[in-house]
Amino acid sequence: MKIKKIPVFIFVFSVILLVLHVLPARVGPTYAIVNCKIFPVSGPAVENGVIIIRDGLIDSIGTQEKVSIPEDAEVINAEGLFAYPGLIDAHSSFFIELPREEPGQRGVSERGAQPEEKNWAAEVNRTAFELLKPKKTTVDSLHRVGITTVLVAPERGIFAGQSVLLNVNGEEAEPMVLKNPVALHINFTTERGAYPSSLMGTMALLKQSFLNAAHYSSHRTLFLSSSRGMKRPEYDPFLEALSPFALNKKPIFFNCANLEDVKRASRLIREFKLNGFLSGANEAWRVVDLVKTMRIPLLVSLNFKPPATSVYVNQGEEKKKKAEEEIYPANAANLHKQGIQFALTSLGLRNSSDILKNVQKAIKAGLPPEEALKAMTVIPAQLLGVADFLGTLESGKVANVILTSGEIFNEKTKVQRVFVDGLSFEVKEPPKKAQPTTLDLTGKWRAMISGPMGEMEVPILEIQQEGNSISGTISSEMGQWEISDGIISGNELSFSISATIMDETIELAFSGTAEKDSFEGEISFEGGSARLTATRIPDRKD
Amino acid sequence: MKRKLICLFVSLCLASLSGFSSAQDLLIKNGTILTVTKGTVSNGDVLVVGGIIKKIGRDIKAPSGIKVIDAAGKYVMPGVIDSHTHIALTGTNETANAITPEVVMRDVLNAEELSIYTALSGGVTMVHTMHGSGNPIGGENIVIKMKWGKTSEEMIVPQAYRTLKFALGENPKRANSPITGTPRFPQSRMGVNSIIRREFLKAKNYMEQWDRYLKAKKSKKAAKNLVPPRKDLQMEQLADMMRGKMLARCHTYRADETLEFIKLSKEFGFKIAAFEHISEAFKIAQELAEEGIGISIFLDNWAYKVEASEGIAYNAAFCTQQGVLVSINSDSGERIRRLFNDAAKSMKYGGLSEEEALKLVTINPAIQLGVEKITGSLEVGKHGDIAIFNEHPLSAYTLCEMTIIEGEIYFDRAQYLKEREEMEKKKKEPVKKKKGGKR
Amino acid sequence: MKRKVIACIALAFFCSSLGWARGEDAQVIAIKGAKIIPVVGEDIQEGTILIKDGKIEDVGENVTIPPGAKIIDATGLTAYPGMIDSFCHLGLHEIGSIRATIDYREAGRFNPQVKAVEALRPDSVHIPISRSNGITSAVVVSTGGLISGQSGLIRLLGWTPEELVIKSSVAMHIQFPTVRRSRRAEAQPQDQTSRQVDELKQLLNEARYYQKRRAAAQKDARLPLPEFDEKLEFLLPVVNGQLPVLISVYAENDIKAAIQFVQDEKLKAIFFGVTEGWKVADNLAKSGIPVVFGSLYAMPSNWEDGYDAIYRNPGVLAKAGVKFAFSSQSATLAKDLPYHAAKAAAFGLDRREALKGVTLYPAQIWGVDDVLGSLEKGKVANIVLADGDMLELRTNIKYVFIDGKQTDLSNIYTELLEKYKRRD
Repeated sequence: MKIKKIPVFIFVFSVILLVLHVLPARVGPTYAIVNCKIFPVSGPAVENGVIIIRDGLIDSIGTQEKVSIPEDAEVINAEGLFAYPGLIDAHSSFFIELPREEPGQRGVSERGAQPEEKNWAAEVNRTAFELLKPKKTTVDSLHRVGITTVLVAPERGIFAGQSVLLNVNGEEAEPMVLKNPVALHINFTTERGAYPSSLMGTMALLKQSFLNAAHYSSHRTLFLSSSRGMKRPEYDPFLEALSPFALNKKPIFFNCANLEDVKRASRLIREFKLNGFLSGANEAWRVVDLVKTMRIPLLVSLNFKPPATSVYVNQGEEKKKKAEEEIYPANAANLHKQGIQFALTSLGLRNSSDILKNVQKAIKAGLPPEEALKAMTVIPAQLLGVADFLGTLESGKVANVILTSGEIFNEKTKVQRVFVDGLSFEVKEPPKKAQPTTLDLTGKWRAMISGPMGEMEVPILEIQQEGNSISGTISSEMGQWEISDGIISGNELSFSISATIMDETIELAFSGTAEKDSFEGEISFEGGSARLTATRIPDRKD
Repeated sequence: MKRKLICLFVSLCLASLSGFSSAQDLLIKNGTILTVTKGTVSNGDVLVVGGIIKKIGRDIKAPSGIKVIDAAGKYVMPGVIDSHTHIALTGTNETANAITPEVVMRDVLNAEELSIYTALSGGVTMVHTMHGSGNPIGGENIVIKMKWGKTSEEMIVPQAYRTLKFALGENPKRANSPITGTPRFPQSRMGVNSIIRREFLKAKNYMEQWDRYLKAKKSKKAAKNLVPPRKDLQMEQLADMMRGKMLARCHTYRADETLEFIKLSKEFGFKIAAFEHISEAFKIAQELAEEGIGISIFLDNWAYKVEASEGIAYNAAFCTQQGVLVSINSDSGERIRRLFNDAAKSMKYGGLSEEEALKLVTINPAIQLGVEKITGSLEVGKHGDIAIFNEHPLSAYTLCEMTIIEGEIYFDRAQYLKEREEMEKKKKEPVKKKKGGKR
Repeated sequence: MKRKVIACIALAFFCSSLGWARGEDAQVIAIKGAKIIPVVGEDIQEGTILIKDGKIEDVGENVTIPPGAKIIDATGLTAYPGMIDSFCHLGLHEIGSIRATIDYREAGRFNPQVKAVEALRPDSVHIPISRSNGITSAVVVSTGGLISGQSGLIRLLGWTPEELVIKSSVAMHIQFPTVRRSRRAEAQPQDQTSRQVDELKQLLNEARYYQKRRAAAQKDARLPLPEFDEKLEFLLPVVNGQLPVLISVYAENDIKAAIQFVQDEKLKAIFFGVTEGWKVADNLAKSGIPVVFGSLYAMPSNWEDGYDAIYRNPGVLAKAGVKFAFSSQSATLAKDLPYHAAKAAAFGLDRREALKGVTLYPAQIWGVDDVLGSLEKGKVANIVLADGDMLELRTNIKYVFIDGKQTDLSNIYTELLEKYKRRD
């Protein structure tokens, strides 16, 4: 019997297609990261490791003996640095701008459990993708904590909507998308002034909705198989939207704010045979037996604030403090001790800078660091169904790599560089918060720059100040230059100048101190620096 | 083989001798045992093993290793049962709709609510926690034991009747709220009645539809594409009422609306477990006695609204004397710890005997909730649900010293006082340090 | 001679008819065979109380009963002084949900001019219910705002407001504002600031100044007479120390601030509520300010204070030497006054002290202990005959005398009960 050989080129072609499917629009250079200690997560650590990144993928990875540096590669000497898979935050609300809240309806009719007034279909169909408003500051702050992949979910409502999985590779939404939609998100919350206005009502609504979806689907199925003599089914947009999740095992994330929510979610998942995930669950250790027996995938939030219902929280300040600082941070450690796997997420945390801090707290409370790492790499990748191309440092996977100055969850460690989809991002320190100032530098100024090249007079600097922001222009014989990124913090002044000299633009950075009618400091540029002093030109009285 | 058996036998004997006892075993000694149903035993003992009362009498020998509670000079009675509260729930009313039988308290239990501990401090071992009275037809209630520190599941009493909350009068017709926007139907007692009737008629129709469908399905000539009716949680609840699987607990005040509801119950064949509050019960005591419907009331809380303005303190005693099964409830997370005080007032307002007064907060509510076989009095075979008082529970000077559920101590005043003492000591220490040390 | 006899008989009839017209006052009533708890002095195991002209003519073990006296056989009963409720809304509140029946709350923050007794409804169904449980007088209080008005003392018997009122103004009710806590641990009470306390102080100063200017103008006709100011006018008795202030205050820091306020302003004061008083018992004792407890049917505001904080509060304060009284803080449940006292006794207060807290002590606090609060010769005959301990839940009250008159123990409860007992 002849075995047809699949032509090699068809194979390669399909691989290329597959690869192109996950390639972002942009293509960065080839990188060779050398001399670093690699923690692939899929295997043991590699000393003196080399990672080759090309076309957004990890081309090869291993010891420097095994992996040769290709000619087209830009070599990055990562001596003293550690390489990890980019961290995955499997449930967050970054990048979305929430729609303004609709005023609640008052004086609802006495109609029954059929949700007629509210447009529930719109709730289910809402996607995080349509709400995305990526911002550079968010991208930077995520990179700063080593996060290269986020699941973004809408936050509000019983049916919050559907989430999207993003690779944090820039400021445009579409190139970021890894998977859309990922799951339907359900909150155990209530409506205001409309049904259901109580948690018991929400539970009844959920149960009835799943029942209705099953009935709707069976009616349609029956109708499709033999429609003669049967009243045709009505079209219900809500049940249409809900059915894939209710009946076809599309994932549902239940946001569990407290231990009773975990129980509520588990009951719904079991009764209606849903493909459910428990998320939030920062009290999960208190219902560990249930979690163990039901084996529902678990994502645990790094938000250690105990829920308002917690008995730890309503018996006085001392107990509350202990709960926040000792008991709740031990959630992950306790779950791990019981052999339960979970992903760690930022759900509920306001600042991304708290994410790493809280992982450190969780580790201090007993979670082994390797488990913490897994909980933010390979486990979320598996839970979200993207483990084939994300979550570990392996050849052929998407090049999401982070380079850190030390062991990743060490308090002193800083993330230095981040690769997402093979694109390199340098991690900068966060902008310092501006101190309030009594100075107002608005007005005209005369400045003198003195440096190795000699002295130069700048006849007019015009400055406008709004709050702590400084902007303006510099006019000189060489033209008018823009003053940008200016901040006055207390009496510390800094700004940038884009100086265009003979068709070439150079960036100058000023940093110094200011007083009511004068300021001075250092102005630096590539290759050197000079001193700048400025005095205010008093207003002429006409 | 024989050797193995002997070894096993010996080890078992040794185990029992060594006093292997669980947290649910204890022996209460030398107290005045107020059984409520089987008289009083002075200088009496109560033995609880595995959470069940094994013996009540004098000079019961303690199995070795068992926890012994010295009740000398104290009074031992069944744990107090509050058959109308809203504690341990996240939320009370689903107010957005007038008809909400689909909501169940089981879904919103909160075992961490401090009012559970407050109830224990007043000798309460079990409560019937309910949907509020904002709707003519409310949700399904639940009976839980006050097992503070345990999970909500462990608190549920599965033997209790299933009950559905109904409400008549001022609350469901929103008489005491300002009207904003379109007023919600119903706004009158006739509206309240009509809406309840409508729902039961709908439920009857629903049951009929299902019966027809099931019949049709069974028949050989069944169409292949027979569509079942939609399962409706609201209708299922009301259907269960008409099938006798769930009883009504109806909030009412006036005698007239109560009689109308009894008529409704007959119209649709459902049973009423008890009327709640019913200030004017004394006006229709004979009807209630004839119908065998109990009441669950305040002793003397009244005049807070018009329909409660003829609520007399003699209500409980008079109705009891007329043959109505009466229980006293609190409907409050504060009053719940004074139910034994309320019971005592029935002796003054109406002349009930001590035993009759105690029954108002023990066996009577147990009967109304369908759990009289397992609790509500101190009898061999029942759960060890016990409250220990330092004075007679019907004295104004009494306080609850210990509350026990199924043999486990859930409230211990001595322990509480010790903890307070330690806390007070700790509070004083840091101040001393500040004064002494240099910073 | 015959004419003289007829004249005498006619005169006798006339005199006695005058006596009848005056009611039972003229006739002496002798309560015989009772156990007597006078509250002041030793208990009398079996004795007699004589009532004449509305007063206690005599009380003791061996009291001679004058001829013609109406004898009340009190064998098996215990005689107590009638109870005094030190904070309630009797006569000012019928049905809670009907605003038309509530008359003890005014609008506005400063209302020293309103008098609670001027809104009394003698027909209130709640008065007979309280009375039939042994309560014979009560302080009725208005609430709302910062200065809520003048509280008055009433007897629980009367057809008209006039007949009810014993003293129309016994205190000025001030609801003390919650004070902002100073962050510094070593902060003194003076550091506990509140804009509203400053407002109060300013108002009192204005009243003092107002009085000064008025007095000066009255002496010297050349000086202008200040405009009439209602608020200041009615604060004058307060700043002159003639009318005490009844200050409602609850939390620890507020109590401390209130003590300071009273001392700074040199006011005569009585505190109400004082639920966290046990935390500052020594401060209160030192200040000499007496305390009226509110309803003990309440939960402490802080869980850490313990479930029984409000119950044990009276015992702690009594031990520290604070003078106290109990109140019902109600109208619909005013009859429960004795049970608040008993609840405090269950949680640490001496039982006899608890009894004093509803009899002698309130009389002393409200300045009427010359006529009320105990069974002593010369005092007003407010007497309760009970078939047991008056503070006990199971006790039945058999007789209540107010001003020497035997009162009717029926009330809306008994009336409705009788009506429905008669149902055929």
